[in-house]
Parts: sequence; C-alpha cells; structure tokens
Amino acid sequence: MFNYTIRRLLFTVPTLLLISFIIFLLLDLAPNDPTGNLPMTITPEVREKIRISLGLGEPIHIRYLLWLQQFFVNEPLNLIEEWWGIQIGDAENRLRVQSWATRSPVVDLVVERMPQTLWVVGMSYVVGILIALPIGIISAYKHYSWFDQIGTFVSMVGFSIPTFLTGTVLIVLFSVLIDSSSPFWLPSIYDTTHRVTDWSSFVVQVKQMAMPVMVLALFNAAQLSRFMRASMLDNLSQDYVRTARAKGMKERVVLLVHVLRNSLIPVVTVIALGVPQVFGGAIITEQIFKVNGLGQLLIIGVQGADIPLVQTLTFIFAVLIVLFNLIADLIYGILDPRIRYD
Amino acid sequence: MTTIAETGGDTAAGAPLVQVQDLEMYFPIYKGVLRRQVGSVRAVDGLSFDIRRGETLGLVGESGCGKSTCGRALLRLYEVTGGRITFEGRDIAELAGNALRDMRPRMQMIFQDPQACLNPRMTVGSIISEPLDEHHVATGEEKRQRVRELLEAVGMNPEFANRYPHEFSGGQRQRIGIARALALAPDFIVCDEPIAALDVSIQAQVVNLLQDLQEKLGLTYLFISHDLSMIRHIADRVAVMYLGKIVELAPVEELFNAPKHPYTKALLSAVPVPDPAVEAKRERIILTGDVPNPANPPAGCRFCTRCPDAIDRCSVEEPVWRNLGPAKGSNGTVEDHFVACHRVE
Amino acid sequence: MSVLKKTLLATAAALLTTTAAHAERGSDGHLNIIYWQASSILNPFLSGGTKDVEASSMVIEPLGRYDEKGNLIPWLAVDIPTVANGGVSEDLKSITWKIQPGIKWSDGSDFTAEDVVFTADYCMHPEGGCQQLTKFADVEKVEALDALTVKVTFSKPKPHPYGPFTGGESPIIQKAQFQDCMGAKAPECTEQNFGPNGTGPFRVTEFRANDVISMEANPNYRDASKPHFATLTFKGGGDAAAAARSVLQTGEFDYAWNLQVDPTVLADMASAGKGQVVSAFGTSVERLMVNLTNPDSALGDQRSTVEGGPHPFLTDAAVRRALSLAIDRQTLSDVGYGEAGQPTCNVLPAPAIFASTANDECLVQNIDLANQILDEAGWAKGGDGIRAKDGVRLSILYQTSTNAVRQDTQALVKQWWGQIGVETELKNIDAAVFFGGDQSSPDTFQKFYADIEMYTNNFNGTDPEKYMSNWTCGEIPSPATNWLGSNMPRYCNEAYDALAAKLAQTSAIDERAAIAKQMNDMLMQEGAMIPLIHRGGVSAHSNTLGGVLMNEWDSELWNVADWHRTN
Repeated sequence: MFNYTIRRLLFTVPTLLLISFIIFLLLDLAPNDPTGNLPMTITPEVREKIRISLGLGEPIHIRYLLWLQQFFVNEPLNLIEEWWGIQIGDAENRLRVQSWATRSPVVDLVVERMPQTLWVVGMSYVVGILIALPIGIISAYKHYSWFDQIGTFVSMVGFSIPTFLTGTVLIVLFSVLIDSSSPFWLPSIYDTTHRVTDWSSFVVQVKQMAMPVMVLALFNAAQLSRFMRASMLDNLSQDYVRTARAKGMKERVVLLVHVLRNSLIPVVTVIALGVPQVFGGAIITEQIFKVNGLGQLLIIGVQGADIPLVQTLTFIFAVLIVLFNLIADLIYGILDPRIRYD
Repeated sequence: MTTIAETGGDTAAGAPLVQVQDLEMYFPIYKGVLRRQVGSVRAVDGLSFDIRRGETLGLVGESGCGKSTCGRALLRLYEVTGGRITFEGRDIAELAGNALRDMRPRMQMIFQDPQACLNPRMTVGSIISEPLDEHHVATGEEKRQRVRELLEAVGMNPEFANRYPHEFSGGQRQRIGIARALALAPDFIVCDEPIAALDVSIQAQVVNLLQDLQEKLGLTYLFISHDLSMIRHIADRVAVMYLGKIVELAPVEELFNAPKHPYTKALLSAVPVPDPAVEAKRERIILTGDVPNPANPPAGCRFCTRCPDAIDRCSVEEPVWRNLGPAKGSNGTVEDHFVACHRVE
Repeated sequence: MSVLKKTLLATAAALLTTTAAHAERGSDGHLNIIYWQASSILNPFLSGGTKDVEASSMVIEPLGRYDEKGNLIPWLAVDIPTVANGGVSEDLKSITWKIQPGIKWSDGSDFTAEDVVFTADYCMHPEGGCQQLTKFADVEKVEALDALTVKVTFSKPKPHPYGPFTGGESPIIQKAQFQDCMGAKAPECTEQNFGPNGTGPFRVTEFRANDVISMEANPNYRDASKPHFATLTFKGGGDAAAAARSVLQTGEFDYAWNLQVDPTVLADMASAGKGQVVSAFGTSVERLMVNLTNPDSALGDQRSTVEGGPHPFLTDAAVRRALSLAIDRQTLSDVGYGEAGQPTCNVLPAPAIFASTANDECLVQNIDLANQILDEAGWAKGGDGIRAKDGVRLSILYQTSTNAVRQDTQALVKQWWGQIGVETELKNIDAAVFFGGDQSSPDTFQKFYADIEMYTNNFNGTDPEKYMSNWTCGEIPSPATNWLGSNMPRYCNEAYDALAAKLAQTSAIDERAAIAKQMNDMLMQEGAMIPLIHRGGVSAHSNTLGGVLMNEWDSELWNVADWHRTN
C-alpha cells in the first residue's frame, strides 16, 4: 500500500503539470481583459499601461514559467518562512502569485476564504451526510414503504430544484416574512467577520449558517441518500445477509454490522470524492447568502478576468481532486479487505 | 425387522426431526405506479414430507422449481405464507423474534455460493465465532479454541482464522461455510446446492466431508441439488420437485431403479451411466416446451403441459399424493414410496 | 402647566437629545453598507472600479470634491483656487492649492503638502500602472511651496485645472506609508493597499478582499463630533436585487448601492416601508453609436475604418434622424430604468448649464414622421417590407453588452425600427469582452464590427472638455492605433475639432458652456450618436439612516461623516 501510494503520488506530478498548463492556455485563449470592467472614463492609453503593469506584455511561455516559479517555489518558501519564522534567501524580492484585482497574494486570499467555506459548505456536507445515511438505510430496509416513497420524493425534489430557488424561498420565508425581532428570524446576509466568543455569539453564528447550510445540505443529502439506498439494497439481497440471519443474529446486528458496513464502502468513497467540492465552495449558494467563500472568490476572478487568481484557484481545485481521488482509492483499500494495492 | 408403521412412530433412530405439512411460500407480485399486488409467484405450493433424525433427504428438481425456497422456508429465512413446519415437535412456522432466534442454533444452512455467503469484511475467525457470542455459547479463549476445532474439523489450518474469505479458494470457502454452520452444533443442516459452484475435483472432497461430519456428529441433512449422481451418492431418500410441488418421494435406490412419475423418469434418463453398454442403450426422454410460469401454474397436474404420458384427466384434476407402499430403503430399512400421478394407478 | 410651557419643554428636550446624539463621535453605533460588487482593494490608483473608489472615499480624501449638485467644494483645501482668487495663474498653466491647517492622518501624523506631491509622483510613475492617470493629464510638475501649499504646473493652459486631487478618484495617500510602494512595487504593497492611512472619517480595521471591510471612526478626524457612527461594515457580494432586499425588506443593512433592478421589483420592495429608494443624475447617457464607416466583413483589415470608406446608408442624415425618431425613449426608460432613467436627446445632458435644448424633437416618438422622412429621402419599401435604395437595404446589425436591460432595449428598438421598414439583427457580447481591449477579439466596442452599438458613457466631475474631445478626428480607433481611441462613430469634422481646441483655451464658464452645447448639438444633428436615456444612480437607504445626499458627481459616500441614525 505504501509503495502504491508513493507510485500514485509520483504519477500525479506530470498530471498536475499538464493540467496547470492546459488551464493556463485556456485562460489565455479566452477573450477577456482585466481592464474590461473598469469605468469608461479610464482612457484606452491608461488601460494599455495597466495591462503592461500586470505583465501582459510578456509572451505566454514566459508568463507560464513565471507562474510555475511563483506557485511551486515562491509560495512554498513563503509558507515555510511563515511557519517557522525564518527567512530563506531574498524574501523581499520574491514575488508570490498576485491577484490582479486585489494586488494581494492569491494564496492569502484563499486562506482568508477558507474558514467560511469550510464552515458553511463543509458543515452542509456533514449535515447532508447525517441526513442522507439514515434516510438511505431506512429507505432500503423498508423498501417501497411509505417512508421510502416519501424519501424518494424528497430527494428528487432536493436534487432537481436549484439552490438559487430554495435559497431565495428560504430568505423570503425566514428573513422577509418573519419579523426581525422574532427569534425565528434568520439573517439573509452572512457576516464573515463574526467571531464566536461566547454562547450568544455562537447562537448568532448558528443562525447565520442555518439557511445556507440547509439549502446545500438538502442538495447533498438528496444525492447521497439515493446512493446509500442503492448500495444497501445491493447488499441486503446478498447471501451473507442470509447467513447472518441463519446464525440467529439480531436484526439490528444484521443491518448495522453486516449490511451497513459493506454498503458504506462505496458510499464512503463517494463522500471522499466529494470533498474537493467542499473546498470549491458553492458558487450559487455563496452568492445568494453573501457567504463570500472560495466559490465567490472564483466567480469574481472570472468576471474580472483576474487570471492569476482563476489560474491558481482552479489549479488548487485540480490538486484537491487528484489528491482525493487517491484518498478515495486508499480508503477503499482499507475498508474492503478484498482490495490490495501493491 | 422394522415394519413400515413402526418406522413412522419410532422416536429413537428414525424418528422425524422435521415435519412439513402443506408448506406454502408465495411471493407477491406488484405492478403499476401504486404498486398494487396483482398476483403471486407460488414458489412452494403445498409440500408435505418428514425428515428423520440422522438421514439425508435429497431434494432434486430443475432450476426455479422451488428447491432453494423450500430449504430457506424450512429454516424460516422467509415468512412462510402457509402450512406447518414442526421441528422436534415444535411448530416453528409462526415463530418470530427471539423465539425464532433461540431455534437458530439447532438448524443451519450451507449455501450454494461460498463467496457470497461469507461477509467479505469479516475474518474467517469472526465469521465462525460471531454466533457463539450472539448465543452466549463461548467467550474468550474457549471461543478461540472452538474456532480452531471447527476449522480443523473441516480440514483447514486453524491459523487461517485471521484471514479474509477472499483469500481462499472456492473449496476452502465452502469448508469455512461448513465450519460456520457447525459452530453452534446444529442438529439439522440444509445444504443448498453446496457443491454446485465448485470444481468437480473439489466436489467429492466436500461431499465426503459432509458425510464424515454427519457420521461423527449425527447430523440430519436436507441436501438440495440438481445433480442426480451426487444425490444418489449421498441421499437416503429423494424428493423430486416440479414447479413448487413434490411429485415423487422414495428411497434412493427405489427411485433410481423404479421411478414412477414421468417427470422423475425424464430427469433420470438424462443422467449418463458409467457402463458403456448401458449408456449406449439409454433412451433419453426429451421434455418439450418451457417450464410454466409459477405465478400462473397449469390446472390439474402441473406437469401435464410437458408430460409425455399425459391424458385428459391430467389437465383437469390434480393428482393426489399417494403412498405406493413399502420399498427397500438404504441400510436395509424399508421406506414408503410416494408419488402424485394419475398414470400410476 | 401651560400648553406653551409644555411645548417649550418638549422642544428643549428634543433639542437636547438631538444635540446629545450629534455631539459625540461614534454615538450612533454601527453602520451597515452593502455594495453588491465587493471591494477588492482600497487604493483607487490601482483599481478604477467604482466600488473600490467609493469604499476608499471613506478613508482617503481629495483636496476638493463635488457636492450632490455638482459644485466643486473645498475638502482638505481651504478654498477652491480660481483665477479670480489668484489660485489659478493668469496663463491657466498652474494652480496653487492651500491646505487646511491642523489636518492629521489617522495614525496621528500631520497631513502636509509633501503627501500631496507624493500622491502625484506615485500615480504618474511610468511603471505603476496607475488607473487614475487621466486625472493627471498634462501635469508637468507638482511641488510643495510650503507645508500647506501645493502648486501644480501643467504643460499647456488648462481652463479647467481641477483634474488632480479632486473627486473620489484622486484622493491623497500618505507618503510615509506608501513611499516604498512606487512604480513596479505598487502592487506588492498589499498591506498598504488594503489599509491605507487616511484623513477621512473612518479607518480600516479589517479588510477582506472581495468580501467585507470593517471600519471604525478615525480618532484623528478633523471634526471632533464626527463621524456619528462608531463602526461600519462595508459588505460586498451577491446581486443588486439581494442588496435592495437587505435594505428595503429585511432591514439588515442601512445603505445599498447601485440597485440596477427591474423598476417594478424595486418599487415592490420599497413598499415594505423599511427604507427608501434614492436616485441622482450625473452625466451617464445610454446611447446608440452610429458607425459612419463601413463594417462590411468583405473589407478585411479595412473593416470599420475610415480607409474602408463610408457606411452604405448610415451616412445619410435622413436615415439617422428617422432611426432616432422611431424610438420611444419614455417607454425604454419605464421598462428598463424606472427612477434611474429619463429620456434624453443629448450626449451631454448635465450639469444644467451644459444641457442643450436644441435637439428635443426626439423626446417624442414619431413613427409617421420617420416614415415620411425615409420616403422623401428615396428609401422605398421593398416586397419584404424593408426599405432600400439603389440596391442598398436598410439592414442593421445592432450590438451591445450582455445585460438584461440592454437586451430588453434592443428588442423594443428592433420592433420600432421594423415599423419604419428597417431590418435589425441583434447581437450581445459579454461585457468583459465587449469593453475589454483584447486585440484578437473581433467583438470589442472599439473595433465596432457592426452598424449600431449601444452602451453608456459619462465623465467624471463636471467639466466636459475631455469628454467632448472624444469625438475629434484624432480619437478614431484604427489598426494603426491598436484600436485605441474613443471616437466610436468615426466622426470627423474640422469644425468640431476647432471647437474642441477652442474649448481647451477658454476659461470663462459661460463661454465654455456655450461651446460645449454647440459641440453637443453638432454631434446630435449630424447623427454621430443617438442618445437614449440619461441614466442616474439608484441606491436605497434605511428609514433610520439620516444625512444621505445621493451624489452622482463624486463618491456616493462622500458625506458619510454626516450620516447618522434617526429615530
């Protein structure tokens, strides 16, 4: 398994380099201009100077190599320096990947966005899983019962109704129709600067997370519960379940120890594969509730033609996807004794 | 010399361990948006037979005739839809919950697919020992000792207890399946085509193991198979099933030498004979047509649509289950020969 | 107690509470502002985006700025220098600003002329990519005469020398903080760009790019009783409708900017009674640019250039007049803009003294007259209902940026033009491409590979000199100039260029107004542009927020120091 992991990790290097180059090329070929969204009062001559100051005067291969150096050498060095408080070489003149719109290091922006994204999107993922697993298990066990039918209906609804609709409906219900003095009122705008220090600030945090988390959790749960149900059904009809019953095991043990454990193998893999999406944020939901996480950062970068930001963010997502694919494979290997990597 | 009447009443050696009366196992068929029940598959439709303590009852028939369903229903792995199953005089057809679980150690099953019947995420040791915990049979060192004994009993290295099922060959897995079935020291084991999924070279080993264990432990088997040669080798008596019903039940030699039911004859005619002279003369009875849909079986005798000897009466009136009288059984006993056919008068 | 006494007491009490509420800095608590376009940087020299300019206007300030009526008023300066008060030299080549004494930066240090000089050097650095360079056009040098006096010298006479250091786009940054951030170093000074020291009413406590800014009252602000709010949140993200909702319906925010929302939706939200919609008009005009050159793709490199020859039919004044008359501007305004729009027939609609009334014919739609004009000009309807003359069909490709209101407008205009026998093909292009300067894209507004294109333009401040010079011959974009230039119609008229030159040398305001009006009328009557809507800004504020003076001439937050809580 160790050798396998190392081999897979080594293989990701050329993969990721290729991905980064393709992203760079695509972004460069896309007709876009970082000065396109500036007010008309800024003259074309000034725009041209801005473009040159952003480094757009250089040919593409130079810009790509520069980005490679910034991302793979300068950024890690900076990270090491910050962690250990040391200085390596000429830190002053070492240029990190800079966003064009904010003129600040992209990685710092990403780090700044991480908490709200992980809190809201991550929590919605966790809540989604917590909702989905019991629903999937019961639906499969009580196959075709009214519970299963309702579960199927709800997950179809959750899956097919877009989050911008559920989000807006929730805002109208909980922020507009309910008066803001009521304890059931929920804020429609997420305050990213809010800090949890005591019980009452914790309640505020829970309230402001409630709507975006529920909107996303519903969406996630819809998908996952179907998956859980299918996997459970698959295993429920297996002979080893009959064996367990023949052994005289309690139904609870049959279900939770035998069936569930085996059914969870593919589900856990799917959950692991979905984790990069958490880091990718939820563009639409973040926009609706103004959570301003990584998804919103990306969309603003795209709209403003902030190419270093989009390039770096997209590449980080690519790294995460490749990484979690590997993790999913390894988890599969750990959970399923039939799989051996060597 | 035992009389036929005595055989039925004798409780010492040949007494019935399992008695089945009018066993019915219907599976509902749902259709449409609202999933209304529109009918049912009559997988097992009115079976009656006894299994005596210490004997092996063979159950043969084509695929889909309801053999496996019958085996599973006997062990109450299904909720039976009708009839009685008496185990040592106690009706278990209606048992549920803990009462049923308490009966589990007494009766076990060996499955056809040794791969699928073992939980892939459990080690061999825990597969075998799990019921020991559940039924508080043994704990700690005693439990580990019992696992070792069981593995040895089925001819496996006791060190294999920490391995997972997928690490073994098919024959080894079936031995594990047997060890598992034996763990609770049952009296009665349903062997559901236990060798069908194995290589021919392994089949004999497993069958011999089953026979040895039966001898040693005094087990009672219901041996389900479509392999008539194997049945002839292992069974004391044989029941032939067709479309959810038993059509003939007789001691093994009697059945093979003097089959009465046309379906039994057709089945036996398909078995190759090792003697070339006999084999050359063997006349095969080829059945035409498909097996009817068990959701909608033919009226009268179920075999009438394919029976070479069918007469008009067959498609109108269901033949009764008749005792043709005693016949020579194995080990010199005398057993009854039953058949359900209008043409055997 | 007598009624009189009661009233007196009540008044006194009311006065007391009012004074009390206004006497102390920060006594009104917290202010919530939402800009649905989040601020990405607080240095307007590195980002010309309105959101960034306005966010920074609460922190850093110019010497003079425009009030809500468009008057230039002294801000950090003692007064506005003019020729009359001797602040502007007779030859119009220099202006001398006097700074108010006693102004301090938020870090407690003194604000001096050196900071002003530094700001000019910072922006005019050739490698800095300063986005407000236009404000410093023709500046030769900026020098500090003494600690509180700054002299700006221009390379040529400037009748309107108020480019540098006025308005939200040209605030003063602190030398001490930015002196290591000159030129190519400018973008690397993240800390400074995110949290500039300022002289304004607020200072930055936390800046999260593209998300939220937290500010607190500047303890060194020059007016000890202001600002009224102790802290402030400047939130970004979402869309205009959600921002409007947060002020008008949920009441979570006090002020929302730029509410480009369907007018009926906005009116609906406002009916909740939690806040009110405010609007103000500046110089923005949504207009149709008429391509006077031939955009025929068969011309290859000469497409839409003067060399490619005149347009086959848009050079006919009758056609242009008919196109303009066929449009119902009031309907366009009602459908797309509501309170934020009013019909206009001028490309220079404001300030009032510059607004011409000579072109008001187009304010009322007149399809019959338009048809009559085309008939008389010899454009006869063919079998397909489309007019043609000498084999030239009146078929127009009409392009604009992708935007719901613009696409509504396009559809309406297409319908009206259909009624006068003009065929229209519509096209919309993503804003970042359309307004972007990508040389390889054929879809930029500068290349203008279409017959008509629509967008909004405006000018900063109140002086139209630079704006009106957009349509001189030298501004025509062409491959030779890398398609740079603002003269989209490719309009070229010696008389117009002469007027532009004259405007650049005239300083008396009345004369300037007369010349500008004349230029506007010339453009209108020669049909280089067809103005549609005079666009204003629309914002909303909570009913409990007082002091908002909506301003289209400068940052909307220009007087945030005066904003206060009302009960």
